Amino acid sequence: MLEIRNLTKIYDDGTRALHNVSFTVEEGEFLVVIGLSGSGKSTLLRCINRLIDPTEGEIIWNGVDLAKLAGEDLRKARRKIGMVFQHFNLVKRSSVMNNVLSGRLGYTPAWKSIIGRFSAADREKAWTALDRLNIRDQAHKRADELSGGQQQRVGIARALMQEPEMILADEPVASLDPVLAHSILRYLEKLNQEDDMTILCSLHYLDLVQRYATRVIGLKEGEIVYQGTREEIRAMSDQEFKDIYGEEAERVGELVGTTGA
Amino acid sequence: MKTTRRTKPASDEELKPSRISPTLAAIISAVIPGLGQMFTRNFRRGLVLLIGFFSAAGLLIWRFILVARRDVGFVDIFTKGIRLQPVLLFLTLATIVLWIWIIVDAYLSAKRPVGRAVGLFLILIVVYFSLGWQIGQVDLVALVTQIDDAESQVNSIAWPWSRAITTPEEYLEARAILWVPCTDDTPPQPPREGDEAYLEITPNCGDLGEVDGSRGTPITLRGYGLLPNAEVRILWNDPLKQVFTHREAGEFMFFPADENGEFEVDITLPYRLVPPTTIGAQDWTIIAQQVSSTGKPEPSLELKLAVEKMIETIFIGMMATLFGIILAIPFSFLAARNLMSGTRITLVIYYLVRMVLNLVRSIEPLIWAIIFVIIVGLGPFAGILALTIHSIAALGKLYSESIESIDSGPIEAVQATGANWTQTVMYAVVPQIIPPFVSFTIYRWDINIRMSTIIGFVGGGGIGYLISQWISKTDFKATGIAMWFIAVTVAILDYVSAEIRERYV
Repeated sequence: MLEIRNLTKIYDDGTRALHNVSFTVEEGEFLVVIGLSGSGKSTLLRCINRLIDPTEGEIIWNGVDLAKLAGEDLRKARRKIGMVFQHFNLVKRSSVMNNVLSGRLGYTPAWKSIIGRFSAADREKAWTALDRLNIRDQAHKRADELSGGQQQRVGIARALMQEPEMILADEPVASLDPVLAHSILRYLEKLNQEDDMTILCSLHYLDLVQRYATRVIGLKEGEIVYQGTREEIRAMSDQEFKDIYGEEAERVGELVGTTGA
Repeated sequence: MKTTRRTKPASDEELKPSRISPTLAAIISAVIPGLGQMFTRNFRRGLVLLIGFFSAAGLLIWRFILVARRDVGFVDIFTKGIRLQPVLLFLTLATIVLWIWIIVDAYLSAKRPVGRAVGLFLILIVVYFSLGWQIGQVDLVALVTQIDDAESQVNSIAWPWSRAITTPEEYLEARAILWVPCTDDTPPQPPREGDEAYLEITPNCGDLGEVDGSRGTPITLRGYGLLPNAEVRILWNDPLKQVFTHREAGEFMFFPADENGEFEVDITLPYRLVPPTTIGAQDWTIIAQQVSSTGKPEPSLELKLAVEKMIETIFIGMMATLFGIILAIPFSFLAARNLMSGTRITLVIYYLVRMVLNLVRSIEPLIWAIIFVIIVGLGPFAGILALTIHSIAALGKLYSESIESIDSGPIEAVQATGANWTQTVMYAVVPQIIPPFVSFTIYRWDINIRMSTIIGFVGGGGIGYLISQWISKTDFKATGIAMWFIAVTVAILDYVSAEIRERYV
C-alpha cells in the first residue's frame, strides 16, 4: 500500500508544483491521475520514485518513507518501482536489447554492468519480457528505428525487468495515436490484472480514463480537486470531466472515429 | 488607385510624423549624409547610411592618398590617383551617386513613410566591393595575360613524374698526371695494363695560360680502352683538388671515342688562378670521362623523400589528434554548461575554460607551430604540439557542445531503475555522447592531416618543409611530386572519414 501524506514540492524558482497532496493507493489498483499540463501530475509521479525530491511530506510504501531514503536504500527501493515515460526515454542509439537490459542495472554489480556482462538469467528475462510485449524480433535493432508504439513497449519491457511491484506511467500514451494508446494501456492493464502490479498512470483522454481506471485523482494547480471510484468515473459526463480538466479535455473516441479504427 | 507599395508600416517608427520638413532634411543630408533621415522618422536607416557613407568616403580618400603619396594638393592627388588607378574614378562617381541618392532619400522619407531602401543599400554594397577590388589589387588582366608564362612551371607541378625515377649513372674514367711547370723530373705515369681505360699525355708538363689571353702549352691526349663510339669529356683536377670541365676556346669539349674505344685530341693548358706562393711543380690531374646510364631505373631521391615525409605528415596528424582527444575530454566536461551550472564556483570555471578554449582556437596552428619551433626546435614534434593545442581547443568546444545537447530522458529512466551513478553514466550518458565524439574526432583527424601538410612551412616537420624548400629552389617537378602525394592522401582520407562517419554515427 502506498500512502502519500501532505506532499508539497516547491521548485528552486519558486513554482509550487504540489501543495499538501494526500491520498492512498491500495495494492493492485489502476489509479489514474488527471489534470491539465502543469497541474503537477509529472511532479507527483517523479516524487514517488524520487527522481524529484519533495520539499515536504511523506511517501509511505510498504511501511518505509521513500521521501527519507538516500543512497543504496533509495536505489533498492527504486528497483521495485518501474517507470514508463511519455517520450519513452530510451537510449536511442543503443539496441532494444540493451535498453531492456538496463532495467536490470539495479540488480547488477557496477563492475559487471560497466563491461556489459548481464547474467544468462537476466538475458532470459529480457527475452521473456520482449515476448510478452511482442517485440522479440526487434531485439537487435537500434531503439530509434522502432515506431513510437514499439518504443513504448520497449519502455514497458525495461520496467518489467525490474520485477516491479508498482509501475509509474507518466502520460504513457500522450505521444501516440489513439489506436496505439489502447494497445499500450492494455499491456499495462494486463500487468495490473495478471501480475497484480499497482499502476499509477497519468492520462489525458476521458474515454481512456473511463476504460482503464479503477480509481481517479484529479489535480489542479498542485492540489487534489477530485477523487472518484471506477463507478463514479464511468458515470461522469464530458462536462463534468471538462470542469476538472479544463476545456482542452477530449475523447479519443472522436479521433478513433476519424481514423476509422 | 491600387499601388504595389505596402500599406502597412513596418515599424512604429514609420508611424511617427517627420520632425522636419522635406527640404530641411535634404539640406541636412547634403551636408552630413544620413543625418537628415535621422531627423525624420528613420533613425536607424539614417545611422546606417551615415556610417556607411563616411566610412566609404574615408576609405576612398585614404586610397587616393596612398596612390599619390608624393603629391600635395587636392587636384594633384585626384588626377594622379585616377591616372594610376582608373577604378578610383569609378569609385568617386559611385560615391557621388550615393551622396545624391541619400539626399533624395532624406527628402522623400521626410515627406511620407518609405519602404526598404534596397537601391540605396545596393549602391553602398557596390561602393564597398569596388573598394575591395582596389584594396585587394585585383588584376584580372595579369591573370589572363601572364598565365602563359607560367605554363612550364604549372605543367611541371601537374605532371612531375619524370622526376620520380632516376637511372643510376656510371662513369668510366682514365687519369694521368701533368706537372706545372716543367722540371727536370717527369711526373709518375703508371704503366698500361691489359685493356683498362688509359690516358697518355704528351708532353706531361707545361705552363698554364695567362689572364691576358695567351694560351698555355699545347698537349696531345691519347685515350685507350674506352667505350667505343661513346662521348668523352675532359676534366681537370687542379692542385687545390677542384674539378672543372675543360674548355677549348670557351667551349666545352665533347667528342666520341672511335670504334676501338680510342681517341686522340690536342688541347692547350687552361688558365687558372693559382696561389702565388706555390713553389715547384704542381700536380694537375687530367681526366677523360665517359658517362653511361646503366643499371635499372630506381625511385629518385625526391620521390623517396616525398614518401618519407608524407608518412611523417600523416603521423604528425595522428599523434596530434590522439593527444588532442586525451586532453580535450577533461576540458570538454569543464566547458559543458549543463554539468557546470551547479554552483557559482563551477560556473566561474566554466566561463574561464570556455574563454581559454576560444582564445587558443582563435590562433592559427601555423602561429602555434612557430612558437613551438622556438621552444623545442625544428622538426615534427613542434608540429605535433602546434596541432595538439589547436585540437584541444577545437575538440573541447565540439565535445562540450555535444555533452550540452544530451537528452536527459534516458538519464532519468536509467536512474529510475535503481542504477547507481557509474551505471547511469555508462548506460545513459556515454551511449549518447560516443557517436558525436567519434564523428568530431574523425573530422578533426582529417583537418589535422591537412594542416600537418603545411605546418612544415614554418619548420614543424612533414612534407610542407620539403615543399617550401623545393619552391624556393624553383624545383617545380619535385614540388609537383609532393603536391600529388598530398592531394592523393587527402582525397583518400576524405573518403575514409566520410565512410566511417556514415557507418558509425
